[in-house]
Amino acid sequence: SPRAVRRYVLCEVLSDDPRCRQCIEDRAVGLAVRDAIGRVHGDYGLACCSISFTVKYLNAYTGTVLLRCRKDSYRLLCSALPFVRYLESRAQRYPCALNTLHVGGTIRTCQKFLIQYNRRQLLMLLQNCTNEEERQCIRKSLLSCSLTEEQSQSGDEEDDDGIE
Amino acid sequence: RRELPDGGARPNASQFKQLVVSALGQLHGEVGAALPVDVLTYEEKTLSAILRVISSGLVKLWSALTLLGFYQNRRCAFRVLQTSPFLLALSGNSRELVL
Repeated sequence: SPRAVRRYVLCEVLSDDPRCRQCIEDRAVGLAVRDAIGRVHGDYGLACCSISFTVKYLNAYTGTVLLRCRKDSYRLLCSALPFVRYLESRAQRYPCALNTLHVGGTIRTCQKFLIQYNRRQLLMLLQNCTNEEERQCIRKSLLSCSLTEEQSQSGDEEDDDGIE
Repeated sequence: RRELPDGGARPNASQFKQLVVSALGQLHGEVGAALPVDVLTYEEKTLSAILRVISSGLVKLWSALTLLGFYQNRRCAFRVLQTSPFLLALSGNSRELVL
């Protein structure tokens, strides 16, 4: 069927430099990813992955990035992500790495995964807490982690026809 | 076979190999440039060569050669005469057979 089937790649930005957070914005991340695809897979790979490529969601506080691409080219995209070495924004460049967390067929599956992942991260932070106040904050966040059914989904929902 | 329209300096065997690898690099990136390609024979006079590549890499190699347009800022073109899984088959071109 000619319907555009997409894949959503969830990744996180890891950096030693705390200033890298200010570069986590759609233009900077999109350019960095496309530049990496161009280096690793050439003109063909770049053109292939650019169809329907976009940065769908970003969270600068957690460093979470959700990318969208065609199902036919998600392997090209995923194999190029380790080659992103820095993010550049407003003439500032900071070294970083992209860690792939999950590949899904819909935004909803990536959202569900992210909620579970963030809950696990909060649990780990809870173990490393030094004072009671931090503990209370984290416990409160953990208890509010859930996917509520009345959240409206964006228009890009498609059937998940299995991840190869 | 390579076609160079003017009478400029012709590449030698290693420059030819470098050209093939850089064509792969332009179209298919680092992954393409890392594809193992061997130049089995090369004739500087006729600019003809026999290249060897793993069969899964044929499409990448052929497309990269087709889209290569320049050698040292001079226009050029690659023409693929024959492909075969067997080297012996390349000694004769069945298209030129006179029956």
